[in-house]
Amino acid sequence: MATDTEDLAPYERWTRGAIQNPRRVYTGLFYVATIFFLITTLFPFYWLLVIALTPTGMLGQIGITPPAIDPGSFVEIFERLPFHVYMFNSFVLALLTTAIVLLLGSLAGYVFGRLTFPGRTPLMLIVLAISYFPPAAFLLPLFELFTGNVEVLGVQSPVLFNTPGAMVMPFSALFMPLAIFILATFYSQIPDGLEDAARVEGTTRLGALFRVIIPLSAPGVATAGVLTFIVVYNEFFFSFLMNDGQAENWAPLVWGILNYQGQYSQFYNLMAAASIVGVLPIAILVVVAQEKIVSGLTAGALKE
Amino acid sequence: MSPGLLETASAPAKATANWVEGLSETAFAYLLLAPMLLLFGVIAFWPLASTFEMSLRADSLAGAENIGPFVGLENYVDLATGQRDAVMPRPFLDLDQPFRSALTVTIIFAVVSVAIETIIGFGQALVLDQEFKGRRWLRVAIILPWAIPIVIQGMIFYLLFVPGIGIATEPLQQLGIFGSTPLSNPVDSLIIIVIADVWKTAAFMALIILAGLQSIDRSLYNVGRVAGATALQRFRYITLPLVMPAVLIAMLFRTIDAMRVFGLIETVSDCTVVPSLSCMVVQTFGARRYGTSAAIAFITAAIIAVFVMVYIVQFARSEEGLL
Repeated sequence: MATDTEDLAPYERWTRGAIQNPRRVYTGLFYVATIFFLITTLFPFYWLLVIALTPTGMLGQIGITPPAIDPGSFVEIFERLPFHVYMFNSFVLALLTTAIVLLLGSLAGYVFGRLTFPGRTPLMLIVLAISYFPPAAFLLPLFELFTGNVEVLGVQSPVLFNTPGAMVMPFSALFMPLAIFILATFYSQIPDGLEDAARVEGTTRLGALFRVIIPLSAPGVATAGVLTFIVVYNEFFFSFLMNDGQAENWAPLVWGILNYQGQYSQFYNLMAAASIVGVLPIAILVVVAQEKIVSGLTAGALKE
Repeated sequence: MSPGLLETASAPAKATANWVEGLSETAFAYLLLAPMLLLFGVIAFWPLASTFEMSLRADSLAGAENIGPFVGLENYVDLATGQRDAVMPRPFLDLDQPFRSALTVTIIFAVVSVAIETIIGFGQALVLDQEFKGRRWLRVAIILPWAIPIVIQGMIFYLLFVPGIGIATEPLQQLGIFGSTPLSNPVDSLIIIVIADVWKTAAFMALIILAGLQSIDRSLYNVGRVAGATALQRFRYITLPLVMPAVLIAMLFRTIDAMRVFGLIETVSDCTVVPSLSCMVVQTFGARRYGTSAAIAFITAAIIAVFVMVYIVQFARSEEGLL
């Protein structure tokens, strides 16, 4: 029963099969690419876990697996520094910003999505431009403003440095454009008839917005909210510069992690454990809300 | 601001509600935009104008005032001619050492990382465009890096490359690519930062390109098949031209973003090792050289503004198409 193919070496057999049936090559390529992408995206997370589980004394012997397993780092990170306070601060800052962005962004999204008025396009372009400006271009004046060094009509600006205000305000301005474009897209899809019907029944204009348009656009509001939360939680620039890095002064996650790098520079396992704990809320959010994230990102970027 | 509040409220509130009802559509639009415009005014427009004004003033290192007297464009001229380099941690523009001067290192970073991200993102998008079991989970895996905080992204690559612990350092040293201390070598650190950036943001490229891929009319492929085009030809003559607009938009977004890199450098390496433009702004600001700092900040904004303009012209065109 010896056939041609069986006499050939495996490599040649494979080549011949490939020429006869290119579809198999594409399937093979697809699996290779999938495995490559899985490894490259997930290996760095695995590496964090390896380091986090390694006991402090054995950090020099780390290989592709931990030399010994000791989950103690996950407890220690809350004892050496108040890591839970940094996390709490990040949550409060992200939630406050999300609330402000959704409220102001809903008003603006309604205007851009449903109303026609002179100046609409130029205003949209300005909103768009703001989200792309480098935060560094705003740093000096905002720092002066938030440290009480700016006078307006003889009134000193309040000292907001080391308070949530110094971070929430820049976050809100920088991330509102994304939310506005997502919300405008959703609000514009509500049929006019529904809004008109509510207005005929005596609802005010604002009432129609809050009672008809926003509830009917709940998926859009959720999308904008999830994305805003993620980008604020992830922000670095103002989180780093608008406080002194102390947990009691509203320093967020950025500082919780950097302080481990700075003050416990040999405790790589603590840095890794803190990073894992810091990334957990976002990882959960991504698994739960991946459809929203994908649709929001693509709607924001590919608005036509 | 619940609706019930508006309707059951007292007489002045009712009067306000009536006043709002009587406004023209334009006036109503601007009334609703007012809070947003106020916030943008304080957090964006005023700071930008103020940064420009500061950039026209001298540094003031002594005395109570942070800002010196008006000097016109002196800061810009000094930065461009290299006369300011002596007082900065790293030069602003020095073509003889491109990896050590702020403007060149930022441009190198942006061009290299966006180019690699486009290729990897395209690959990821092609894989995600297929129908297969577990697609949802592959998508989670690919998005995950995009969603993590910059400081944790930086920490991961710090731990991958810090000598003694990092698993990736030794092989690269044996290959002769890295020196003995990669995190304080400008070229080695730049390579690490590019890898970290690609790891995190290729997913963004992938999602935008995927959206472009999925908007392609599938019947075109059948036409191609009937006409005898091979899979490669179908990709070359159908997929590529149709997905190009999405790729370009994604590249533009990423370039704008890459030009403002700061936190990743601060976490993985150090701003004096890889001196990006934002790094220089923060460092000169930390040294109380407000005039210099403001000038670099405004130059950064101006460079980014050029890219933003390209996008905005594009956007305005599509908006007009809608109206």
